[in-house]
Amino acid sequence: MSLLEIDHVSKRFGGLRAINNIAFAIEENEIAFIVGPNGAGKTTLFNLITGVFHPDDGAIRFQGKDITHISPNHAARLGIGRTFQLVKPLRNLTVLENVMLGAFLHTSSASKAAEQAREVLKYLQMEKVMHFTASGLPIALLKRLEIARALATKPRLILLDEVVSGLSTSEALALAEILKKLPEWGVAAVGGVEHVMQVVMSIAHRVVVLDHGTQIAEGKPGEVVRMPAVIEAYLGAKYKELGL
Amino acid sequence: MKRSHLLAALVVFILSLLVPAVVQKDFVLQILFRIYLFAALGLAWNLVGGYAGQLSLGHSAYFGAGAYSLALFSGRLGVSPWIAALMGVAVALACALLIGGVSFRLRGPYFVLATIAFAEVLRLIAKNLPEVTGGDVGVQVPALFHGNVNRAFYWAAVGLTAVAFATTVAISRARFGYYLMAIREDEDTALSVGIGAAKNKLAALLISAVLTALAGALYGSLFLYIVPDQVLALDVSNEIAIVAMLGGAGTILGPVVGSVVLESAAELFKNFFKEAHLLIYGVLLVVVVLFLPEGIIGTLGALLRRRALLGGIKASARGVTGD
Repeated sequence: MSLLEIDHVSKRFGGLRAINNIAFAIEENEIAFIVGPNGAGKTTLFNLITGVFHPDDGAIRFQGKDITHISPNHAARLGIGRTFQLVKPLRNLTVLENVMLGAFLHTSSASKAAEQAREVLKYLQMEKVMHFTASGLPIALLKRLEIARALATKPRLILLDEVVSGLSTSEALALAEILKKLPEWGVAAVGGVEHVMQVVMSIAHRVVVLDHGTQIAEGKPGEVVRMPAVIEAYLGAKYKELGL
Repeated sequence: MKRSHLLAALVVFILSLLVPAVVQKDFVLQILFRIYLFAALGLAWNLVGGYAGQLSLGHSAYFGAGAYSLALFSGRLGVSPWIAALMGVAVALACALLIGGVSFRLRGPYFVLATIAFAEVLRLIAKNLPEVTGGDVGVQVPALFHGNVNRAFYWAAVGLTAVAFATTVAISRARFGYYLMAIREDEDTALSVGIGAAKNKLAALLISAVLTALAGALYGSLFLYIVPDQVLALDVSNEIAIVAMLGGAGTILGPVVGSVVLESAAELFKNFFKEAHLLIYGVLLVVVVLFLPEGIIGTLGALLRRRALLGGIKASARGVTGD
């Protein structure tokens, strides 16, 4: 049994097929990336998994349980954490309080939640800004705060929606080093990225490539980048003949 | 909130209880009653409007439910006044369940519109059912206290404020308080960490309604007579919201400070400026909205935090240059 099974899922918005018959599975402690250009359907897929939207067709299973028609807060309770592409910090709260809100999922004690939040912040190398209000953080730290908050809920699976977009290459690689250790927390991760392939190649166990809502490739990162369909989607048809 | 702050609050509470030993004049005690009553109302509103960030402009519904339930259950059905006041709490809870249960499932302006509409419907019902409510003529409210009435009502208002304050402190320290703030800041984020937004908002509204209904019963019983345009009016709803926002919505102390400032200012203006006092009141509000959008306590708190932060940065800068 896989941790997460996407079983031939489709989602339409009016006439637009945002997600079209997608199927793949994520194993425990695995780091996978969903790669695709802007509009490929990555965020929609994450919204389907976390119950923000529900699929028109197909089923989604988490730890063998059907979660196709789940609600967002229920998804979090089951162990699916997520970050938002357009960061959504609790702006007037401190960094520590932001992360405590994740930790409150498993404890009602504020001191225990603070303790767990500190641990997570240490992992993300954010202890120094712990008492700052979130509104004053730069984007690189806001992206980390998204991860910290989700991680504090002790999820089994964490969905990272464009966590490296907007970061400089060095910031992105530093974050990748941190993400690489996610399996040590007992967490599987599914990231969505547009183009920062350096990060994907260095930490992914599995890559799923989407193009206009359709799954065009799935496999190990080294294999996927050689697939003709992927090269065509990313670089155009003429490069396919060059056998890049 | 630190231990020393709680101690200070306790001292203020005890001193407040001792005030009638010094102040004997009925009209002063009535002004103080009003200050404490609106402090309690502001604190109650603050749970929903401040902590949870759900703007309510219809708290007169619970206020009026408290006052009218006391009048009608006791005056018409012969229930003892204190039991009738508790029945008012039950009626207010039912109103809150109805408003919150429906509108908290939706996002956007639906809740605030529902609060205004519901309060207005209650006011119109009270005006147009003279056989039951006395209509525009009004209805008598039984006395909750006898003997030295002004002193007793003053103490009751102080007590209610203390209960509302203690409730706020407890909630602000508990997980529930953090949940409310998370919902205020970003509902999607709150959902993503497993917080049931609708459920928690409703819980805050129910607690708020209980306190507001008790305040309504006290208010009605002090004046012994109520009419719809007094206890169910939009003015009441607005004043409750303004007290909290003036002092600082989402802060523990804000509503208390707001009530002291607003109610004493209103009283002063009434004496000095006669009919023009409403104008001055309006100008004051505009000034606050423009220059102190976070309220008195909110603005002060932000200033203090900034100073502390700057101090910390300067200290660490000295540490760096010192190396």
